[in-house]
Amino acid sequence: MKKFLLLMSLLVLVLSACAPTSGEEDKKEEAGSGEKTKIEYWHVNAETLGGKTVEKLVADFNAQSDTVEVTAKFNPDMYKGLMQNLQAEAATGNSPAVVQVGWAFLDYFSQNFEYVEPQTVIDKHFPESKTFLEDNFLPNIIDLAKNSEGSQVGIPYSLSTPVLYINKDMLKEAGLDENGPKTWQDVEKFAKQIKEKTGNYGIYIQEPADNWATQAILESNGAKMLDNGKATFASKEGIEAYEMYKKMVVDDKTALHIGWDQGIQGFIDGKVGMMYTTIAQRSNVQNNAKFDVATVKSPAFEGKEVRLPAGGAMLAITAKDEKEQKAAWEFMEYLYSVEGMAEWTKGTGYVPPRKDVAQSENGLKAFLEENEMMNAAIEQMDGVVPWTSFPGNSGLEAEQKLLDIRDEILGGSVDVEEGLKKTEKEINELLGK
Amino acid sequence: MLEKLKPYLFLAPAIVLLLVFTVIPMVYTLYLSFFDWNMISPTKEFVGLDNYINILTNDTTKKVIFNTFFYIVVLILFNCVITYIFAFIIGYVVKRFKGFYKVAFFIPSVISLVVGSILFTWILNPISGPVAIIGEMFGFSIPNWSKTDGLVIIVLSLIVSWKVFGYNFIVLYASVVGVSKEIIEAARLDNISNLRIFIDIVLPMSSATGFYILILTIVQGLQYVFTPIKVITQGGPNYGSSNLIYQAYHEAFVVYKTGQSAALAMITLLIFVILLLLEFLFVERRIYYENS
Repeated sequence: MKKFLLLMSLLVLVLSACAPTSGEEDKKEEAGSGEKTKIEYWHVNAETLGGKTVEKLVADFNAQSDTVEVTAKFNPDMYKGLMQNLQAEAATGNSPAVVQVGWAFLDYFSQNFEYVEPQTVIDKHFPESKTFLEDNFLPNIIDLAKNSEGSQVGIPYSLSTPVLYINKDMLKEAGLDENGPKTWQDVEKFAKQIKEKTGNYGIYIQEPADNWATQAILESNGAKMLDNGKATFASKEGIEAYEMYKKMVVDDKTALHIGWDQGIQGFIDGKVGMMYTTIAQRSNVQNNAKFDVATVKSPAFEGKEVRLPAGGAMLAITAKDEKEQKAAWEFMEYLYSVEGMAEWTKGTGYVPPRKDVAQSENGLKAFLEENEMMNAAIEQMDGVVPWTSFPGNSGLEAEQKLLDIRDEILGGSVDVEEGLKKTEKEINELLGK
Repeated sequence: MLEKLKPYLFLAPAIVLLLVFTVIPMVYTLYLSFFDWNMISPTKEFVGLDNYINILTNDTTKKVIFNTFFYIVVLILFNCVITYIFAFIIGYVVKRFKGFYKVAFFIPSVISLVVGSILFTWILNPISGPVAIIGEMFGFSIPNWSKTDGLVIIVLSLIVSWKVFGYNFIVLYASVVGVSKEIIEAARLDNISNLRIFIDIVLPMSSATGFYILILTIVQGLQYVFTPIKVITQGGPNYGSSNLIYQAYHEAFVVYKTGQSAALAMITLLIFVILLLLEFLFVERRIYYENS
């Protein structure tokens, strides 16, 4: 542990020693050419999380713009770390121009920081782009970045959804349709048959320290995590969906109940027939699986529509003065261009939030032909809904309670109805505080 | 005047470090434990003893304290008792390959625990890891340890002992071999069994080092075990693998309840002070110090 810390601190030292100097050099070079508006773009993308793509996008933008000079600033510790830095920056009276805000911080950000709605900036300075947002985003997608008061805080940028990965070889071996199941009822049957015919586990549903996948299953059956500020997941539909999940894990033992890394590893090693997890795992699975692997769209419940929570972040404009706001949109319009989006998708594994990127020649057409597994995620964009973040100061604690009950239910130590009702009550008490 | 100051001057670097990295953070933690703060918000709300009341009336805390003691028992078994026995066996019973054993035991100590945790997650993966595959050939299967109460603590402790064993072993070995050869030879001549030699001669005569390792196992082991908890289970299933130290981290950096976390840290400190006092009272007095 100590050695690890030492290494980490060394690494941080080295990184912090490198980063500002290179930035300063850039600035000095630019100082000669004069009139550009300088703005900062704050992101959370470390080297392994698309950091290089951020650098490339910023460099390309700076090269083609005569008016704006962007400096990208990396914030460690993901979206929370960025919020903390933003807090410190706000205390000094400054602010960056464009920031990434994770969905979980949507309400917190809009209540505690100054921002300007993108449409306001567009209307004021770029009347020719007046319909940019309407034209290029599905209504359910652009709504992801609306806070509980209905203000369009930003624009969705990084987007991920859950898909079903299938081991085609194993499905064939079990005598099943190799195109995979369409509904959760089918999933249940598939899992059972895989277990009977091959002896392997049928499915693994991701269990990281969040409720993303659970929300996808519950809400796809018509339940609502949150309604009018109150937790409502212990409805008839919610209990029914969770019962199905529990039945596969506890009674049939066709679904694997294990940590996220081990589950993914089990699927890649060919010990699990199907896996329900984020599209962001695509390149990992695609590069390491030795069998015929594919993805299919998130299953629905029979006769119902899927509702898939979005993972990722949006971009918001925090620039205060008008010149900077104008520059901020010029930069964002570049990031949201077909080429910019295509670059971002290739570098990160996220799904492009805007339309027309997938089919376009200068977009992702060639890339998608090579990486067919992306298609499932792109096709299900109309089913995307916001990832529920419980409001108020106890929001994270409420989220934690859902994790606790997941462990209890899947561990078989508590009845679904009783457990969900109890948790719902506890969360509502927290929210009522 | 200068002569009087001199000792303090020499102490200064150590005192400054102690102040900056131990005393001041501790005082600040005490301060934070009376506030409700989410680490991001600029304002802290004073809540008096609420954080402490919350923690002491909470079922999770009870579970976590119980786990902590479970960890202590398992860690003492793996990292102190078994290590002691190994040191004795390598020192007095085994005749050949001593050098090889010493090196083999020590190697894991230089490998990072994060690496170790990832390695063991893979080796012990109950469905596709190598142990599971070999087990399958002989018809037994590995239980789903990362989701089973109790077992998860034992496996995580095992991972820690994999790391700590070597260092503890070398230290104990040095002390065990340091016991005067004549006494052992004499005992051997009288046909005393190895077990009696260990319990009646070696153990008492190396007890000073043994005591050091015992304290180290408890204090450091609980901190070491943080790494596999964080990497493998994040405290799950349902706090089944969380201990006081991980829980303090969880409260502060996962759910951002700094006050609760600080209060829990203060309680942890108190528990450890009491433990140490008990140890000094009942164990320390019987220790044999060669030079005193």
